[in-house]
Amino acid sequence: MLPETRPEKTPSEWHNILTDPWLLSLVSWLPPVCFLIVYAIFAQGLARDLPIGIVDLDHSKLSRQMSRYYDASPTLSVQNHYPSLEEGFSALRKCDIYSLVLLPDDMEKNAIRGNPPQVEAFYNNQFLLIGKLIKSEILMAHSTLVAQLDTVKNLSSKTTIISQAIGDAVPIGSQMTPLFNLNKSYAQFLVSAIIPATWQIFIVITTVLCIAAELRREGLAVWLGTHPAHALFRKLLPYTLLFWLHGISFLVGMFVFLGWPMHGNFGFLVLCQLLTVCACQAVGSLIFFLSKDPARSIGLAAAYTAPALAFMGVTFPATNMNDPATVWRSILPISHYIDIQIAQTNYGVPISMSQSQLESLALFILPGLLALVLAGRTAQTKNRVKT
Amino acid sequence: MKLFDLIAAELRAIFTNDALILTVFGGVIFYSFLYPLPYEKELPREQTVVAVDLDGSQLSRRLIRMVNATPQVDIVRQAYTLAEAKEQMLDNKLAGILVIPAHFYRDILQGNSPTVSYSGDASYFLVYSTVLEGMVAAGKTLAAEVSVTRLLMSGQTMELAKKQYSAVTLGLHAMFNEAGGYVNYVIPAVFVLILHQTLVMGVGILAGRQNEQLAAGEKLYWQDVPASALLLVRAVLFFAMYVVLSLYYYGVSFEMYDIPRLASIKDLALLSVPFLFSTIFLGITLGNFLPRREIASLIVLLSSMPIVFACGFIWPASAIPSPILTAMLFIPAVPAIKAFVLLNQMGADFYQIKSLVSHLLLLTLLYGSSAYIVLKLKMWKGKTEKI
Repeated sequence: MLPETRPEKTPSEWHNILTDPWLLSLVSWLPPVCFLIVYAIFAQGLARDLPIGIVDLDHSKLSRQMSRYYDASPTLSVQNHYPSLEEGFSALRKCDIYSLVLLPDDMEKNAIRGNPPQVEAFYNNQFLLIGKLIKSEILMAHSTLVAQLDTVKNLSSKTTIISQAIGDAVPIGSQMTPLFNLNKSYAQFLVSAIIPATWQIFIVITTVLCIAAELRREGLAVWLGTHPAHALFRKLLPYTLLFWLHGISFLVGMFVFLGWPMHGNFGFLVLCQLLTVCACQAVGSLIFFLSKDPARSIGLAAAYTAPALAFMGVTFPATNMNDPATVWRSILPISHYIDIQIAQTNYGVPISMSQSQLESLALFILPGLLALVLAGRTAQTKNRVKT
Repeated sequence: MKLFDLIAAELRAIFTNDALILTVFGGVIFYSFLYPLPYEKELPREQTVVAVDLDGSQLSRRLIRMVNATPQVDIVRQAYTLAEAKEQMLDNKLAGILVIPAHFYRDILQGNSPTVSYSGDASYFLVYSTVLEGMVAAGKTLAAEVSVTRLLMSGQTMELAKKQYSAVTLGLHAMFNEAGGYVNYVIPAVFVLILHQTLVMGVGILAGRQNEQLAAGEKLYWQDVPASALLLVRAVLFFAMYVVLSLYYYGVSFEMYDIPRLASIKDLALLSVPFLFSTIFLGITLGNFLPRREIASLIVLLSSMPIVFACGFIWPASAIPSPILTAMLFIPAVPAIKAFVLLNQMGADFYQIKSLVSHLLLLTLLYGSSAYIVLKLKMWKGKTEKI
């Protein structure tokens, strides 16, 4: 069979997609379902009523007031009172509660006598993000109550002017502003990064699988024929469009439908998504042609894409990563994309500020070229064997 | 076929499957270096910040010096207006803004309570909490100094003034991950997940490969052995492999990254038995439905993100919608991650994790029976086809 007669006979890639249920799922319903599951996990946005425990050794008006104050915080909920520290710690260790607050005996008496008692709060810092939240909420609830106590004390002894009494109790007020995410919403913070990371997984593995499908048909050589570049582009183009569409739809979902802040240029972001899809496809093709086996290449693709979120710099800042981590970060297209996305949606900075990320994304032409070279070589060797 | 021959054939099938070996051994070892890589520095430090000093007094300059002196914050720029500060923050990718209001010093002297504004970039929660931690700590220290000075001026002795500036003090104690390191937070949980995912993949790849062989009409070594024998041999072999890999993770790797190992070997082993067996049985059950070996990796890879975020160590389970939590009950990694973290990181004793262990035992039972049934059906089908 002459390879030249082949193009008329090969069905278009759309046909391949429609006849392979796995490929069809990967480009149609699976990505949106995964995105929605991730969103659903964080949809509540704020952690509420995290269980804490109290050991009240004082049983006074003051100690009861304190435990009511902790309970009043929307983030905290006093779930249990423990008779002893040991029992409290046991609950903390079992993760029944995230924090244990010890109200010491003679607390009220000492407070009145001007011999300030110390409340001890133990919080679970193993679950770091939850721990940080608990810590700041306890601190806040405590400060509010103490300021009130001090103000009342000042009013009864020093001054009769309320503002003076407050000024005395709280010499320096503080106002904390979470810029670019005013509600401190976990959904906005994490989901806007997890979804692109998941998107990258989909693009890379679908690229690998769609090329691997040719192994099961007539083999790579027949498929690549005499124009491997042409065959590869013809194969990948439909996926470029489909995944670009998925990209645009998650952007619309997050920044239009859910109404998360979007201060930048939507059109520019969408164009960057196209670049990102192409970059991921370039890496995906390279991964496949390096191993030329479906299972091994999926394994490599998994190793490459699964830890991407950790390297994106959203959960742990990229500026505090060491050099090997920065290098690994730079070979993941999605880490450049997320920089652009945050710059546009959160900061709303001019497009020119994303120049370096755009250049990095453009550099993914290199794995693409390498994949083409390998594809060309595959086509040649196989054809030579045949002739 | 004798038991010994079955074991030998099974071993041959495992160790000649290069995709399986790559995923299981390659994956586990590769991830043990890659995953902790971004977090090597453990804590974000010296986040760069711009200060706006609208007061210009000696006290405001003192606050700026104090903020700068914290390990969390590094004041790299000064601005004269808030607008300028915002611009600088975006242009130079700074992490926060400190604003000291006009008449700060005067207000404090007059006993009014001026408000200092602390802002951080909440696009990155860890950056935000680090910046705020540093700024607020410095602010609180200055406020305490002011209170003490006031008490001294009103005629208190230094001794009493130092004690009495607050009615009730608060001692905050971080438990289990005292330093709040990111490696200690992420790695113990993620390593359990890696063991789980690569194990399901490994078992799945083996099953998928054999499904391919069966579909191609090949005869397999286990077609004339009882299903129970195959189930047992396969489970024990994978278990043995993963005991070695678990030892590598909980021993060598944890040691390398200085992660606490509070659990005794005996407890870890007792927990590993139901964890590994339930995972292997899940893999065998799943493997039955895989037409090709690469599909196993595909499914496992796509499930990773939802499992990480829904298993409760990043985002509290109470905030996750119950349908998702219910689905998660069927994944051995979910109770296992919690159990291993409680045991090894938080020092819970075995009695305290007994509900998680029973959960794993139930899953072992469930997937053990399902694995037996699918193998039995497959062999029965093979036999009827032969006739």
